[in-house]
Amino acid sequence: MTTVPIATEAFCWSCHAPHVGGHFCAACGKIQPLPRGADYFAFFGLPQKLWIDCAQLEQLFHQLSWKLHPDNFVCASEYERELSLERSSQLNDAYRALRDPIARVEYLLASGGMREEGAARQQAPPELLEEVFELNESLDDLRTARSRSLGTDGGKTAALKQRLEAEEKKFEAKLGEVDEELKRIAGEWDAALDAGADEAKRKALMARMNDVLNRRRYIRNLVANVQKELAEA
Amino acid sequence: MGRTVGIDLGTTYSLVAYVDAVGRPRVIPGPYGSSLCPSVVSVDTGGSIVVGEPARRRLLTQSDRTIYSVKRLMGRGVADVQDELKLFPFRIDPGSQNVIRVRLGNRVFTPPEISAFILRELKNWAEDFFKEPVDRAVITVPAYFNDAQRQATKDAGRLAGLEVLRLVSEPTAAALAYGLHEQQRGLVAVYDFGGGTFDISVLKLISTTEGDIYQVLSTNGDTHLGGDDIDNVLRAAEWEEILKSGLNGFSRTGEDAQVLREAVIAAKHELSVVDKTFVKFPAPDGGWYKREITREEFEHGIAPIIERTMGPVNLALADAHTTPAQIEEVVLVGGSTRIPLVRRRVEDFFGRKPHFELNPDEVVALGAAVQADILETGVKNMLLLDVTPLSLGIETMGGVVAKIIPRNSTIPASAQELYTTGVDNQTGIDIHVLQGERELAKDCRSLARFQLKIPPAPAGHARVEVKFLIDANGILQVHARDLHTAEARSVEVQPSYGLSDAEVEKMLEDSIEYAEQDFTERQLIEARTEAESILHATGKALADDLAAELSADERHGIDAAISLLRAAIKGSDYKLIRARVDALNQATMHLAELMMNRVLHVAVEGKRLEEV
Repeated sequence: MTTVPIATEAFCWSCHAPHVGGHFCAACGKIQPLPRGADYFAFFGLPQKLWIDCAQLEQLFHQLSWKLHPDNFVCASEYERELSLERSSQLNDAYRALRDPIARVEYLLASGGMREEGAARQQAPPELLEEVFELNESLDDLRTARSRSLGTDGGKTAALKQRLEAEEKKFEAKLGEVDEELKRIAGEWDAALDAGADEAKRKALMARMNDVLNRRRYIRNLVANVQKELAEA
Repeated sequence: MGRTVGIDLGTTYSLVAYVDAVGRPRVIPGPYGSSLCPSVVSVDTGGSIVVGEPARRRLLTQSDRTIYSVKRLMGRGVADVQDELKLFPFRIDPGSQNVIRVRLGNRVFTPPEISAFILRELKNWAEDFFKEPVDRAVITVPAYFNDAQRQATKDAGRLAGLEVLRLVSEPTAAALAYGLHEQQRGLVAVYDFGGGTFDISVLKLISTTEGDIYQVLSTNGDTHLGGDDIDNVLRAAEWEEILKSGLNGFSRTGEDAQVLREAVIAAKHELSVVDKTFVKFPAPDGGWYKREITREEFEHGIAPIIERTMGPVNLALADAHTTPAQIEEVVLVGGSTRIPLVRRRVEDFFGRKPHFELNPDEVVALGAAVQADILETGVKNMLLLDVTPLSLGIETMGGVVAKIIPRNSTIPASAQELYTTGVDNQTGIDIHVLQGERELAKDCRSLARFQLKIPPAPAGHARVEVKFLIDANGILQVHARDLHTAEARSVEVQPSYGLSDAEVEKMLEDSIEYAEQDFTERQLIEARTEAESILHATGKALADDLAAELSADERHGIDAAISLLRAAIKGSDYKLIRARVDALNQATMHLAELMMNRVLHVAVEGKRLEEV
């Protein structure tokens, strides 16, 4: 495991010893302020890789919780209490983002300034256009049938529901494919980091992941809407 | 610095607890012997405050100057409590808006002030117990309490003269107490059904080399679902029976309502033990109203309320990504879990026998004491990682809420948002912070509104970063920073429901006028009383014939101790008085022995030999 030091101000606020990073001063043990824009990966001493051993991450989370939690600073100075609040909230925020593979990618892209949601929320990805069209048609049919018949149509609504369910299943399968794709690119990202890839290469990978995330979000919203509609029907 | 205690500020009862010299949490008894302080406050005709058992008795005689279940009003506005007003005899002052004001006799109080009276009473219990001042506390709150309800509780602590070291969720506190008791591991569900609130928490207990971590994975609940609701159902049903019985002159309101409430509560308690009992109370005609009620009828009536707890249970399990079968231990907390139907329902759901070894009334206070001890001594072998029960969001265009901290995030938690201006020379940006799970701002709970001040500049130039932080108490803090200058900006956050800092300050000042005597004064009065009584007893003993058996030295020692104590009483140093009381006790030890021997002698002589 490579350790990426957290860059902070050069000297400890309390004993003025040179400070090379980390949560506490190596000389006097006092908690140190969090540098601006501190990175979640670095907070755990992890490289910016997308494959993370979750058991190891949880262990790190617990170790740091013991040290940084405000419970430890109840009797400390007001400044130290503030620093503990700052560092322990960062710890919890970082753990929340990194433990979930999708949130992890989102965070990596956002911190690299590469998370662009664009118009993806409204627009269907081109390769899904046809299926989305069909799905929306089924949805409309179901809504119309429901508003007219109030369930006394001798199984017509039920048939429509079945059709919609089948189409929804297709999109759930697509979601699985998208996740696989994201995993593949994440693997490429990790390999690129190991190979010391240049910024252009990294940016390109980030842009690809951004696309996949947008597609993923679109499909997820779609599936959620259909499930809601089916639950109501 | 004074001592630190753990306090369970409950809807029906409140308790105070501490950790003893061998590390065991214990509840502190009050002057009536019980450690349960009824959460009832009454104002007597002279304007002074009565709390606990005597106040509870006044519900039956002076219901218009007495309040119970005030916890239901904490952190809420008048519009929130309209339904409750049909069921609870709260006399809300007409001037109330987003902070309720309650009328008691001729005085008006906010819910935090009333809760502060209860906290102050418990503080007094603890001070009498320790003979030392108590000035810091860990106070428990329902896990599902929102920001305003937590802030109101914290304000109450401050008004009672307590520094609130931490607000801890009630189920989490209970888990802590059970952890000490049972040494459990793995996933634990805490089902906490109290007098006015219901909470369910799923925790993961982890052993690490540093100690045990109690990590809350998810929590859910209903801050207005509890034993009170059961009582209200029983009252409504009984009222129908009363009408049928043709009982004359019995009213549905005022003192009669309290008579009926006490009668159904007594029946409820009995039905946890026996299969049938009577709802009975003295009738206005001088006789008794008496009707048999079976456990079956009782369970049929309250089943819908018990069922309402299962929705939150399912949601909490889903949020923890777990299933009933994966839960290794189930813990029951709160008085309402004494009801057999509740136990059966929980057991059926989880498929295992729940724990109720610890007294469900005390377990939360015991856990609070454990946490208080950890914070006070800094000796840590346990760490609580709690969560925020509700998502935090900010209002965006079109009244839609953007969630920035999801529910069940471990606290402290934070989120940053970057703000800029939309038009040239815009001098402020309005920010509205909300809590809740719904998509629209109007359906969420408004926490606070504030305006970021911006120096005039072209549109889009300003860059202000706002940090929303939920602290370890589950309370929101807001910090702003200008990214151009890196300077911190102060933000004046006006809570939507709750008291501002200035209002709390003002109340603190006002409360001095009415406050009970402070610790030193009380100690002085008690020490003087004790001194008077020992002086009186010693005087009587010295007048006795037995005093002649004392040596001249002993007699001299006693006389000296008496005059020293007399001198001390005239001063105001209670510690000196106590020391001299002790000295006089020492000096009269032999005399006391002589008198005790005589008493024994007389007692033995007065009986037949075989009885000895």
